Amino acid sequence: MIPASFDYRRAHDLDEATRWLGELGPEAKVLAGGHSLIPLMRLRLAQPSALVDIGRVPGLDTIRVDGDRLRIGALVRHAALARSEVVRRALPLLAEMAAEVGDQQVRARGTLGGVIAHADPAGDYPTLALMLDAEIVTTHGSHPARDFFQHLFTTPLQPDEVIREVTFPVAAGPHRYIKFRRRRCDWAIVGAAVQQSDGGWRLGLTNCGPTPMRARAAEAALAEGRTMAEAALQAAEGLTPPSDLRASSDYRRHLARVLTRRALEQAAA
Amino acid sequence: MTTVGGRDEVQRSDASQLRVVGRPLPRTDAAEKIAGSTRYAADLALPAMLHTRLVRSTLPSARLVRRDTARARSLAGVVAVLLGEDVPHNEVWVDVPGQQTEVRALKARSQVLATGRVRYHGQPIALVVAESEDVLAEAEALVDVEYEELPGVFDPEEALGEEAPRVHEDGNLLAEWHIDSGDAATALERAPIVIEGQYRTQFVDHAYLEPEAGVAWLDDDGVITIRASTQVVEHFRDIAAILGVPQARIRVIAPYVGGGFGGKEDMTVEPYLALAVLRTGRPVRMVWTRQESLLARPKRHPMRLRYRTGAENDGTLVAQDIEILADTGAEAYLGALVLLYSSVTAAGPYRCPNVRVRARAVYTNHPPCSAMRGFGAMQVVFGCEAQIDELARRLQLTPDEIRRRNAIREGDRLPVGQQIVTPIWLGETIDQVLRAAGPRPEPSRPHCRVGRGIASNLQPYGRLVWLQDTAAAWIGFQFDGSVTLRCGVPDIGGGQAASLGQIAAEVLGVDPARVTVHFGDSARTPLAGTSTATRQLYMSGNAAHLAATRLRDQTLDAVAEAAGRARGALRLGPGGVEGGGEPIALPRALELVRGLGVPLEVLATFHGPRGRAVARDLAAERVFPDFTVGTHLADVEVDCDTGQIRVVRYLACHDVGRAINPQSVSGQICGGAAMGIGSALTEEIVLESGINLTAGFFQYRIPTALDLPDIEAIALESGAGMGPFGARGIGEPPIGPPAATIANAVRDAIGVRLTELPMTPERVLAAIRAQAHTDPPRPAPTGP
Ligand SMILES: Cc1cc2nc3c(=O)[nH]c(=O)nc-3n(C[C@H](O)[C@H](O)[C@H](O)COP(=O)(O)OP(=O)(O)OC[C@H]3O[C@@H](n4cnc5c(N)ncnc54)[C@H](O)[C@@H]3O)c2cc1C
Repeated sequence: MIPASFDYRRAHDLDEATRWLGELGPEAKVLAGGHSLIPLMRLRLAQPSALVDIGRVPGLDTIRVDGDRLRIGALVRHAALARSEVVRRALPLLAEMAAEVGDQQVRARGTLGGVIAHADPAGDYPTLALMLDAEIVTTHGSHPARDFFQHLFTTPLQPDEVIREVTFPVAAGPHRYIKFRRRRCDWAIVGAAVQQSDGGWRLGLTNCGPTPMRARAAEAALAEGRTMAEAALQAAEGLTPPSDLRASSDYRRHLARVLTRRALEQAAA
Repeated sequence: MTTVGGRDEVQRSDASQLRVVGRPLPRTDAAEKIAGSTRYAADLALPAMLHTRLVRSTLPSARLVRRDTARARSLAGVVAVLLGEDVPHNEVWVDVPGQQTEVRALKARSQVLATGRVRYHGQPIALVVAESEDVLAEAEALVDVEYEELPGVFDPEEALGEEAPRVHEDGNLLAEWHIDSGDAATALERAPIVIEGQYRTQFVDHAYLEPEAGVAWLDDDGVITIRASTQVVEHFRDIAAILGVPQARIRVIAPYVGGGFGGKEDMTVEPYLALAVLRTGRPVRMVWTRQESLLARPKRHPMRLRYRTGAENDGTLVAQDIEILADTGAEAYLGALVLLYSSVTAAGPYRCPNVRVRARAVYTNHPPCSAMRGFGAMQVVFGCEAQIDELARRLQLTPDEIRRRNAIREGDRLPVGQQIVTPIWLGETIDQVLRAAGPRPEPSRPHCRVGRGIASNLQPYGRLVWLQDTAAAWIGFQFDGSVTLRCGVPDIGGGQAASLGQIAAEVLGVDPARVTVHFGDSARTPLAGTSTATRQLYMSGNAAHLAATRLRDQTLDAVAEAAGRARGALRLGPGGVEGGGEPIALPRALELVRGLGVPLEVLATFHGPRGRAVARDLAAERVFPDFTVGTHLADVEVDCDTGQIRVVRYLACHDVGRAINPQSVSGQICGGAAMGIGSALTEEIVLESGINLTAGFFQYRIPTALDLPDIEAIALESGAGMGPFGARGIGEPPIGPPAATIANAVRDAIGVRLTELPMTPERVLAAIRAQAHTDPPRPAPTGP
């Protein structure tokens, strides 16, 4: 289908982008890789009055390590993350996640900033951002990830606020992300991420609720020396994941347990 | 990745002489399709062309209280908005053959545009014609439709109840077929072993790459010309009936079709395009969105199957008792015939003396169901082959052994009464897949189990004999020796046109590149019938073969006379007319022929076997011309913690009679298997109280290339089919076995029988858990 008509502007820098967004009002939207926004527009589930394209704003596609933080520009694409030597050394879990996002076309165009801003509970990076306490740095300031994913597709971003970069702690220890899906290029039906960091485990779940989830009780169980199987049980305990065409709530809860345990065992192996 | 093998095993008798047939020639349409330059039906812009779009019902069952087009018509750019009242003949009638007595509906009625009520979600109500596509979307929203919701019926079992809401006035039973061969009840009572099972299949969509689309215009000759993506150019007659114009004033052109699979066997865009041309006199274009296509196009019938199978202790089948209940949705379309195919093939490719079949197709307020690759002969494989597999386990026979023991052979009769009159290599297909498969794989992880399964099937090729099927082809030499072949076959991607060219080249001794095939035009190519029912290679292939043979003979007769050579010595070959002296180059030879006033062209018609229509109680010497059999094998790995099935290895073997173009045959086998794997594992149209929840590819999940195993296609050439050079049809047959093959492999891997499609991880897991609660530990796998 063809999207409803809209205005289009290409920003040269972020100041221009925020200024235009302010002028155009809340019906205007930032356009990055377009791989979430354009499909929604084609189905007319989104009908923004205007798009402010930040795709060619310079300086937003850098990846660097800054002390104990890995800083990633909002426009860094999935394929670049997957390839990046810097990411593979500083936070290999992120590179591994990126390699499994969507299909090749999606990985060639979609951006880290787009996934974070879109806040789809099936998005992969939000899980990692949440469990590792990432910071989302914007034109207006900075948001800790734990305050950022508020609800389904809901974040504290203002209409004229643009993400500049996301910073993660460097963490190169044992890690694993298992993404369960029925087709190779699908979104996660459920995803389970584990990362050892500062001597403890961080655990996250994708698509088990309206936002990414951090399995704190399971982290605590591991810290207390309980088994991985017990921790996995904890991770699934009390979850009320959504039911949809792809999986029932019960099945998702089951997957949360199975995948968490597998991810832990494989990371530790 | 794919191989067409097994030929070394085969006596190719007369085939050894073949020069062009049997070679894997690159298809003439392949390069341009890969380059994206093929012009499909709607890839044609005409001056002053208008655009059209259907307004569809948002409810599955409702009275149309008000349909107001005033607001839409007043929108700038809107040229017309048509309602049912604007259609000259808004009723379309479909014959339901064989149902004259028992079922009231002699003929089934449907409307081009709904007037009084709507019966399914997505049913067309109005046709908007506008200057641009942009305007269309806006105009669509401005057509005011007021509904009064009516109770609907969404379950075929419930639909049969006395109190059920009626989808059509004359009741919810569309069609019913019975087979009573021998005495199944008594035989089952006496049989030492009886297996029982119930199975369910789902709504499946064709999901072709090219959606329903076309353009139409009023041509210089005053003929409304419709260039549409269709499998049936003969619909020009139905379109004429709707418009109330002479049939000669409608022309349908079918350019290369981007996938049909039965979904373009019924009319799609054609009547709407024709109506818009009739109304406006201007060229028009209509392209359905993927959403429309998934929403409202006919689907594959979901079926509920109940099987009881009885056998002797040595595995000999003695009885099958089969009940089939098909949800045919809200319109008749081809539902009765689909069910007939199910009934005739339900007992599988086996000898069985006592078979009882009770089959019913029932209206519901679901999207209509109609033709889809396999045409009813697919769903029943899931039931029948599960039974055979369970029987083997009960008797501790291997799955291949039990099938070999009962495999149908030349001279045997199907339960319906039809005798198999050609050698049919079912046993050989079983041997082949097992030989090619080699050792079983090992599990890749500790929580996984592997298993192997096979399943066999039989699928008719060619239409029901009482349809008195014919196909015509015209073939002519040009003066320079190049060849023009005209045949009304729509080329739906199976290489239909290219194969005809290959056949003509073989017979006429010319290079295939010198043959040009004109196809798919109801006015300008001889009518060849539908590209459905796995019939084109058989029917049009025979027509082309017949025409080419006559042309060859009349040409050689004339050359013999003109050149004074012995007729018996002459043949057509690369050198032109060969034999009895120096070869005569073709242009020169044709000059001699013309010198005698002998024409350089032939029009020939091939007639399929004829027969009488059947009644509800099916018993006939012949229902179909012939059948294609095959066997598939899958190795699967099942993740016992998640229920995920991974197909590790897949082989598909069919007796194709003769592979005219082995590459095309392999393509059909791989494609059919891939499509079958999709409906085994992921595909399902989901409806909630008649509302389609899967009207997009985000929801309706077809496997991608990355999700499929490499499919190894094995074509066996018995040379015994009824097509040209002994070919059998291969378009539909490969879609039959996959679901049963995979279910049997899963059974082998984890001891659990999946009885419902698709086999989602969640269903697999539920089955594993259910078994853990009830069953003793499973025995060791006994797969082939
Ligand atoms: C077939 C398919 C499969 C996919 N599979 C996956 C998957 O498995 N896992 C996964 O995580 N994702 C998946 N995606 C989504 C993909 O990763 C998208 O690229 C991503 O969700 C959005 O990034 P984008 O750059 O394309 O953003 P866009 O589509 O351009 O924008 C998305 C939203 O974010 C906003 N936005 C974008 N950038 C910024 C910014 N810098 N500041 C503020 N707001 C911004 C936009 O206004 C819009 O609302 C898939 C997409 C498709 C089409």
